[in-house]
Amino acid sequence: MKATKVLDAKGLACPMPIVRTKKAMDELSTGDVLEIHATDKGAKSDLTAWAKSGGHELLDMEEGDVLKFWIKKG
Amino acid sequence: MSNKTKVAIIAANGGLFDAYKVFNIASAAAASDAEVGIFFTFEGLNLIHKEAHKNLPLPEGKEHFQEGFQKANVPSIEELVEVATEMGVKMIACQMTMDVMSLDKDQFVEGIEVGGAATFIDYAKDANITLSF
Repeated sequence: MKATKVLDAKGLACPMPIVRTKKAMDELSTGDVLEIHATDKGAKSDLTAWAKSGGHELLDMEEGDVLKFWIKKG
Repeated sequence: MSNKTKVAIIAANGGLFDAYKVFNIASAAAASDAEVGIFFTFEGLNLIHKEAHKNLPLPEGKEHFQEGFQKANVPSIEELVEVATEMGVKMIACQMTMDVMSLDKDQFVEGIEVGGAATFIDYAKDANITLSF
C-alpha cells in the first residue's frame, strides 16, 4: 500500500507508539496515509482504538514480529 | 473544544508505579485529542517535583522490576512528563499540600499551575472521564 509517510515506532513501549503516531499524523493532511511499524504488541488494539477515536481510518494491518498499520487521516 | 473528550485525573501517590499509571493514561488521552488535567496532591506531588520525579521509588519488595522496565524499553518518567507538557496536559499542584510540605512552585517542573481543591472540581465538573491514582 502506498503511504504518504512511514513512522518507525519499533522498540517503543506504551504509550510512545500512540504519542509518535499522533505527532506524525499532525504533520499530514486529510486523506494522507501514515504507515506505522511497531513491535509493542499492545499497539494492535491501541492503534485501532486511536484511529477510531480520532476519526481516522485504519486501512490495513499486517501482523508479524513487526506490526504494520496503514491509517488514513480523517 | 466542547465536543472534545475531557479527562480529569487525581494523582495522590508518589511511587514509580503510580507515576506510570498517571502519565501513561494522561499521554495516551492527550494523544487521542482529549483535554487532560491532573491534580497532584500529597505524595502525588513527587511526580512533578523537579528532582523527585527523576528517581521515584519502586514499591518495597518490587525493586526487581527495575530490570523489567529497562527490558521493556519503557520511557522514563522524565520523558513522559515532557511528553505530557508538550501535548498541553494541564498540571495542577495542590496548594495546601505544598504548604504542609513547605514546597514552592519553583521546585516543580515548568508549566505547572498551583491551585486548590476547588480549582480541580471546577475543571472536573464536566469531565467525561475522572480517574484517581
